[in-house]
Amino acid sequence: MHVALDGIAVHFGPVHALAGVDLALAPGEVAVLAGPNGAGKSTLIGVLLGLLKLDAGRVMVDGRDLVAGGRRFQREVRAQLGYLPEAVAFAENLTGRQVLRFFARARGVKKGRIAEVLEQVGLTAAADRAVRGYSRGMRQRLGLGIATIHKPALLILDEPTGGLDQQGLTVLWEVLEEARREGRTVLLSTHDLALIEKRADRVHVLSRGRLAASGTPESLRRETDLPVRVQVELADEERAEAVAGGLSQAFGMPVDLDTRRVGLDVGADDLFGVLEAIRSQQSSVSWMRVEEPGLDAVYEALLEART
Amino acid sequence: MNRVGRALVIHELSERLRDRWVLVVTLLFILLASGVGLYGRAAEEGAAAVTAPSLVTLATFLVPLVALVLGHDAIVGERERHTLGLLLSLPVGRGEVLLAKFVGRGLALALAIGLGLGAAALMVDPAQGRALMGLLPSTLLLGGAFLSIGVLISSISRRHATAASLAVAVWFLLVLFWDLGLLAGLVATDGALPQGVIAALSAANPAGLYRLALLERLTGAAALQELGLVVKLPGGWAQAGLWTSWILGPLAVGGALLLRRKAVTT
Repeated sequence: MHVALDGIAVHFGPVHALAGVDLALAPGEVAVLAGPNGAGKSTLIGVLLGLLKLDAGRVMVDGRDLVAGGRRFQREVRAQLGYLPEAVAFAENLTGRQVLRFFARARGVKKGRIAEVLEQVGLTAAADRAVRGYSRGMRQRLGLGIATIHKPALLILDEPTGGLDQQGLTVLWEVLEEARREGRTVLLSTHDLALIEKRADRVHVLSRGRLAASGTPESLRRETDLPVRVQVELADEERAEAVAGGLSQAFGMPVDLDTRRVGLDVGADDLFGVLEAIRSQQSSVSWMRVEEPGLDAVYEALLEART
Repeated sequence: MNRVGRALVIHELSERLRDRWVLVVTLLFILLASGVGLYGRAAEEGAAAVTAPSLVTLATFLVPLVALVLGHDAIVGERERHTLGLLLSLPVGRGEVLLAKFVGRGLALALAIGLGLGAAALMVDPAQGRALMGLLPSTLLLGGAFLSIGVLISSISRRHATAASLAVAVWFLLVLFWDLGLLAGLVATDGALPQGVIAALSAANPAGLYRLALLERLTGAAALQELGLVVKLPGGWAQAGLWTSWILGPLAVGGALLLRRKAVTT
């Protein structure tokens, strides 16, 4: 499903929850919506779900205006949406299977799919227990099952990592992988960018109701130009202090030294310079690691730059 | 109602039948109704004639309570569980969601009322039992009116605790204090309140109309006059109109509020 938000604005009295947001989602893409509390993430999700009335702008779905398309078109689109709300709780008197049965019935999905979904989210054993006995992570996994039971064209996950243990995260990664494989679109909002960065194709950063940055993790890294962390292990310990001093002088940065291991932050284009500086101190490298800045650091830098 | 609406009706019914508060109030109604029935069977012939009126009085108190317990969290409960957005993201309109919730909960209420009246009917002889079951349509209307008020409360409340407090307040006002208020008005005006005003005020409350209309039907207007109740009730069509507006009115207001709300999940 192709979704394009075009100049979306939503006001609550004097508060501009969204102030002219343009954003596009492509099929088969896992897009991440990031931003501090109050940035407008939940409002944007509400707009996509049709739960909020727009003050300005258009939501285009596969080239058609969602509002102008009328109720029938809106229902057609909603039939292709899957949604996991943040910190979802569900009816406590019902079992996980009964909750799933309702959504299967509402979505027109065959009964056999319920067992498949329970298996996928790791709730087969707990399926006939009342939801009141479920942990937060189990409820979250049940929510994932509900959101994906009809294999939606657009899957919207609001803070899906909250409360998930390792098993839950594995389920989430599988859901994302399956969606990508089958060409379905995923939009997820999260505070935990470090956790999600390997799975994200595109990141949209919201700040104060505006899109502060948008791009692939790699392009955002380039945009922020944050230093990379270089760690090298020298072949000989005798020259370590001289190498550390030389590197510190060459790059004007503090250098960590631990016996033969040297660590420093340099620009992504300075890696050959590091190797050159080591060679100039008559030493050589036996091991080297380069760590790119995490997406959370990129996000912080982007927000700082925009405020 | 479309597929989602039908699924929601079944879901609501299933969930309500497992709700412990609904079960407790329903059980209480069944027990007390059985008690009234047993009393009617054990009593002398004259006392047996008051079984149905006693059941009407009991239903006037308990049916609105069951209905308000059922209705008050229909929307606000979903909102607090963060599932309202999930529900409204299904291919269904907001009005249909409200209607499906009303119907699903209404079925649970009808079951509770049927079980209560049925329990009382089982305790008496078959002829009297049939007379008791004749109370079912009016009692369903009473339940429907209060369920609709409950659903309205749930649509205007932002928190479950607020909705519960409002439901209790409505029950006290319409079921307990309404007649007392009328009485206080009569005493304060030294009986100067015109009959028309008293009749209009009595009929302005579903619990009042239910009680008076059924008591009049069961015991006759003369018997009511002996008790000092000389209220002239609205005619059949007017009563039908009143019940329709009590059931559909709050539901329509609740639906309109839900439709107009800019951010439906907050």
